[in-house]
Amino acid sequence: MPLDTSTYALAHLRLDGRRWNELRRLHAQISTQAAADGSSYLEQGNTKVLCTVSGPQEQKGGRGGARDQGNEAKVDVEMNIAAFSGMDRKRRARSDKRVQEMQVTIASAFQSTLFTHLFPHSTITVTLHILSQDGSLLAACLNAATLALIDAGIPMSDYISSVTVASAPSSDQSLDEMDPLLDLNGLEEQELPFMTVGTCGRGPGGGEEKVMVLVMETKVQMARLEAMLSVGIDGCKQVRGILDGVVRSHGKRVLESKVS
Amino acid sequence: MAPYTGIPLSPAELSYLHTSLSQHPPIRPDARSPTAFRPLIAETDILPAANGSARICFADGTEAIVGVKAEVEKTPSASSHSINSHSINGEVADEGVRGLGSGGVRDVEDDGMDVDGGEDGKQSSKGRDEWLEVAIDIPGMRDDDALPVFLSAMLTEALLADGALKDKLYINTRFHWRLYIDILLLSLPLSYPLPLLSLTTHLALLATRLPALVSEKDEDPLFNDDWEASTHLYPPTKDETARQKPPITLLVMSVGENILFDPSREELAVADAVVAISVTQSHTNTTGPDADADADADSPNPLHLIALRTIDPPSRLTAAGLPNSLNTSAGAGAGAASQSLSSVEVAVTREKDQGVSVWRPPRGGVKRAVLARMIKMVVQAGGVGEEVLGGLRGVEI
Amino acid sequence: MPSEVTPSTNNHDFILTALRQNLRLDSRPLDTYRPIDLTFSSDPDTYGQTDVRIGKTRVLCNISCEVGAPYPDRKFDGVFTISCELGPMGSPAWEVGRQDQTEIILSRILEKTVRRSGALDTESLCIVAGQKCFHLRADIHILDHDGNVLDAACFALMAALLHFRRPDVSIEGEEVTVYSVREREPVKLTMTHHPFCITTSFYPSRQGSDDDLISVLDTTLQEEQCRTGSLTISLNRHGEVCNIAKYGGVGIEGLSVLTCVNASLEKAKMFDRLLKERLAEDEKARQAKIGAMGLELSAENERVMERPVG
Repeated sequence: MPLDTSTYALAHLRLDGRRWNELRRLHAQISTQAAADGSSYLEQGNTKVLCTVSGPQEQKGGRGGARDQGNEAKVDVEMNIAAFSGMDRKRRARSDKRVQEMQVTIASAFQSTLFTHLFPHSTITVTLHILSQDGSLLAACLNAATLALIDAGIPMSDYISSVTVASAPSSDQSLDEMDPLLDLNGLEEQELPFMTVGTCGRGPGGGEEKVMVLVMETKVQMARLEAMLSVGIDGCKQVRGILDGVVRSHGKRVLESKVS
Repeated sequence: MAPYTGIPLSPAELSYLHTSLSQHPPIRPDARSPTAFRPLIAETDILPAANGSARICFADGTEAIVGVKAEVEKTPSASSHSINSHSINGEVADEGVRGLGSGGVRDVEDDGMDVDGGEDGKQSSKGRDEWLEVAIDIPGMRDDDALPVFLSAMLTEALLADGALKDKLYINTRFHWRLYIDILLLSLPLSYPLPLLSLTTHLALLATRLPALVSEKDEDPLFNDDWEASTHLYPPTKDETARQKPPITLLVMSVGENILFDPSREELAVADAVVAISVTQSHTNTTGPDADADADADSPNPLHLIALRTIDPPSRLTAAGLPNSLNTSAGAGAGAASQSLSSVEVAVTREKDQGVSVWRPPRGGVKRAVLARMIKMVVQAGGVGEEVLGGLRGVEI
Repeated sequence: MPSEVTPSTNNHDFILTALRQNLRLDSRPLDTYRPIDLTFSSDPDTYGQTDVRIGKTRVLCNISCEVGAPYPDRKFDGVFTISCELGPMGSPAWEVGRQDQTEIILSRILEKTVRRSGALDTESLCIVAGQKCFHLRADIHILDHDGNVLDAACFALMAALLHFRRPDVSIEGEEVTVYSVREREPVKLTMTHHPFCITTSFYPSRQGSDDDLISVLDTTLQEEQCRTGSLTISLNRHGEVCNIAKYGGVGIEGLSVLTCVNASLEKAKMFDRLLKERLAEDEKARQAKIGAMGLELSAENERVMERPVG
């Protein structure tokens, strides 16, 4: 691999100058689109995601009927990776398995976090537009979807916050260990074994975060998992704090505009 | 092709709208003047990975993002020797990539090249139509649905008719830029999204920058990797009005004798005719007969009409109202009377009503005089076209 | 659109209550598999055809290969594709041509477990760089769905890959000769490691609380329909994890993920042992068949006349 991370071992700094446990700049806005029930825009480094939520609403189209008989709302996720989002222009077919897998992941993660039993016979549609991708795509989508669902006012038990962690050769070369790295960019993702962790808090005083989503697709030694997982869960906590800040500052703005 | 169906208005509401829009001056539901546009929010250069990008958000909540990406591509050369060697390579490669799509497509293009490569008439314009690709993504619609296909055809047509854009993609005899314009409509299309997409594409192209070329002539192209040194596809000038610009497409509708710009969804539901008009600023570097004409003109950059398309107005799909004389449920007397009418008589009564007392979807086309006035209002000096371009000039690029 | 029959509330509660008392309908402990049965094709010339049964779940995997051109961007690699077929034979909820969630997850996880982890050395499939290579294709058919399709499919695929022999080739200058099975002994595929999928399902240990979870291995279809979450881990016997997939579902604690990984390692070793045993047995049987009198002299009446349609 031409672009190696071996410099990390020397300087303790990653390709973009971060330390091992630093997140990239995470910037988010909510209520970005007036036309949707809920919307958000999230930048995690150079990964940019726009999310809109519509619903809960009656299922549209002909395929309703049999499917919305359940006494729980169904979460539908549509993901659209813009052709210009990557380095090279590439149009992704909607039937791409990788995209479908992410859709399934996001849908089923929120299915169990949202209080879907409050909206029987209905559908909540989450649409994600990926405008630019530079690593941690699934994590950014989960975070953006959380914000948009909060904006839509759909009750949920807690934020789902997500982050990626990798395992890199240790900075201390005398040890035969691996250092976990938090929040990968596109280059790091191509080189290092990594996993996406998504956790859901348990509300105030509810105890420890629970892992909702855990996706890893590269080979890694079992022994390294523990370090990766604990750093990941910790990173999710940080992300949750940032997301919470976004929601609170938006709430404050809304209240202020109502007063004046 | 129907832009959309399911207009949630009753014949009475349609009739009311139609009447108010045919007043002199017309009364629009949002109290705009006939030529006024709705306010919009625009920004450019929002995507780091694209050569140029823009986002426009209309007041009704419809929003579009356009990303322009350019890739260097080898131009299949015209000399017969290299064609032969190329196509042999192509065939070998083709076996391996069958089913991958892009490889196959490129080969098809190569075949097309061979045919018109010998044509000397092509020499005057260096660009080729296929160097430009427009793709539109509308949520909830498949890529091969009628609306996105039709919209992208219209936008491509306007961009190519301009002629200037494809020539800008020429690098040397062996290489060219291939420009991909990807349009993403973020919300469901509430009104006909053509002007939104066209204006966003316009801004994105204005913001598009290509890396500066350092190699010379027919060498393999080598680019300056300093993005600061990159050149604009449409180079900015000191006097912004004189800057060469990509074309814009405006949607114009008529109700009776009235001409309305930037129609909203409700207004489109009663339109007699809807026309998409593409205009561009004439540019100083055109060679040919109309260069002299430009020099003589009063205005420094008069607008030119480059494409015109009538669009099937959604009003044709609305349900007609029923004249009271035919209303069977209105009362016993009327009911008895209408039952005695034969189907021919019913049809005649309906025809005679002709939209006088109740709403009837428009029929037929647009009058030539109205069409001429529409075009004139767009292209004339100080007309709507200049006004829109002036407005877009305010967007920081 | 057909859908699976969901267990009634009574059934659902019964299964849950039983699980909370460490009981399962088929009286297995919570962490054991149903009897696993692996058979290879009985035709001595057929390689790479496996039939795996875990309880009532039955998966067929067939590997085929042909010579073709490699992808232009991967000149030194052969082509390996996995295709999963979920038809109405397996479960009435599946239709041909309609993609459902099970199929997406199944094919993605197999892809990640076997292809992305580099279990098969695709470079060994290359014949002439950039021009000729073997196209290997694995077809997986779920014949009967009674839960835990993932583990069964992955086991069937690994078994088939280890059993398969590709025809031998020789290269002289530009000439490439592919020998048939009768001409030259076919060659085994080069496998770098043997990963297996292990799926753990989770059940709430108390009504309405997600705090303590019961983890259960190798669920039947009914149990699967009652679970609140699942975690699929793919790893080989050396403890190299190739894939972890937890798509939503109930939240689990970080620590229990690690416990699951450790438990899965035991099962992966079990799968590995079983596969090696069965492969050795099959090898012996084939040798005996050929060795005794030679194939031509064999007068077996039970000889398969036609290859079974895979």
